[in-house]
Amino acid sequence: MTAVVVDNVTKVFNQGRSDEVTALSDVELTVGDGEFVSLIGPSGCGKSTLLRLIADLIQPTTGSVTVAGKSADRARRDQDYGIAFQQAGLFEWRTVLRNVELPLELRGLKKSERKAKAEEMLALVGLADFAGHYPAQLSGGMQQRVAIARALAVQPPLLLMDEPFGALDEMTRERLQTELLGICAKTGTSTVFVTHSISEAVFLSTKVVVMSARPGRITAAIDVDLPARDEAARQSEKYFEHVTAVRQALRGVPAKSAT
Amino acid sequence: MRRVLYVLLGVAIFAALWEGYKLVGSPDGTVLFGVRFLPRADDLSMPHLWTVLQRLGRPELTGGQPVWIVILHACAFTFGITAAGFVAGALVGLVLAVLMQQFRIVERGLLPYVILSQTVPLVALAPLISGWGGTIMPPWATVSVIAAYLAFFPVAVGMLRGLQSPTASGVELMRSYAAGWWRTLVKLRFPASLPYLFPALRLAGAAAVVGAVVGEISTGTRGGIGRLIIEYSREATSDPAKVYTAMLGAALLGLFVAGAVSLLEVPLMRHRRHVEVVTL
Repeated sequence: MTAVVVDNVTKVFNQGRSDEVTALSDVELTVGDGEFVSLIGPSGCGKSTLLRLIADLIQPTTGSVTVAGKSADRARRDQDYGIAFQQAGLFEWRTVLRNVELPLELRGLKKSERKAKAEEMLALVGLADFAGHYPAQLSGGMQQRVAIARALAVQPPLLLMDEPFGALDEMTRERLQTELLGICAKTGTSTVFVTHSISEAVFLSTKVVVMSARPGRITAAIDVDLPARDEAARQSEKYFEHVTAVRQALRGVPAKSAT
Repeated sequence: MRRVLYVLLGVAIFAALWEGYKLVGSPDGTVLFGVRFLPRADDLSMPHLWTVLQRLGRPELTGGQPVWIVILHACAFTFGITAAGFVAGALVGLVLAVLMQQFRIVERGLLPYVILSQTVPLVALAPLISGWGGTIMPPWATVSVIAAYLAFFPVAVGMLRGLQSPTASGVELMRSYAAGWWRTLVKLRFPASLPYLFPALRLAGAAAVVGAVVGEISTGTRGGIGRLIIEYSREATSDPAKVYTAMLGAALLGLFVAGAVSLLEVPLMRHRRHVEVVTL
């Protein structure tokens, strides 16, 4: 079964008004189970819009979105995905632990189960010792890790991330990238990841989807095949080949097949 | 400890200003271009503070109870009215805020009237409301209605801002959890609105005291501190210290209500306190 199928989707904002904007036009996207797909493109290319469509936070104007074999709406109601935004968006009045518990609470889990699950997730992102802290006491990188733990708490088959590391410094960013890959490998989660960064997209993804703006559409999909994804991989020739391929695709140069 | 010192310092500064002005001020007040811009400093207008304090200990009328007991009773009576008005006003304010947050059309339609309600002079409204006394509610409750009428406003406006304060990503997050209107309200909007709610409640507390005191006077309700101020001020020419004892009572009542309201905050704002401690 495929994690996400976006079939011929067009999204028009403010339809029929003078400020009508075609955010996405004829988008086709398939995310296989266990795949890590990055969406990359200039500002305004509709990559966030595409992510929100998959999350059923907005509805397509035409076309259909299928998540885990169901309609996007059904999948959202079943909490078939976890989501993380650029801002960690933690609830400042809840402790770290209770923030991670939130989605479990809304699912109606018992208190003891909730606590056990949330503690497990915090251990996964390396914040077990900070369960009783309040978000304002944590650094930006730690907050973002809590947000990822929260997204993973219901153990969704699909993880949606909208520039989750965008506001972080380079060092924290690279560390969290490695952590995220480890978590995804461990849990077998499929991921759709929106980013501005070519290197981030190549390092993380099995497939990089390149988009262009006005109207937003997919211009290229580049499969990334790295033998390993560790610190050495960031220096490998293959990695740089892929970075070049993505960069050329972003500039509109016809992509040479990067195999 | 330090706070107690500050309070005592504040009282001392007030006493020094009062007595200092009495010392240097003209007994007939200072008149400039036909306007008296500094008050009379004679014993009739500004009795010595110790006279006021002494007056508290002496009987209200010959052979009656000491004034401080009478004032305490009156304050307790007015406090009851204030509390009832405050609770009713806060609840009305909350409900209005939730409705306005949920329905854009209600916000557009209702908010101007909410603001308009506070421009209606209380004195014009009081006789109307006092007419309800004895028929649909006991007379004291009409004063509570007036207090509530003043108290609901800051709560409605402050709470509306608070309920609208969560970021779009917070709201989207709740939507991604398939949380409906009610659960978004309880888990996100209410807790997010608390920093807006508490200052609003403090304003509402002060407004409820003013409403109760003014309400007592304009509806002619007996037994409260507002009524006492009016009664004692009639004796001001023969016994000037007496009216000041009643005013002192009203001021202390206001402080007491403000303090009680800010106590509400303590259990609910733990995370704020926590953060402050850590950043120190």
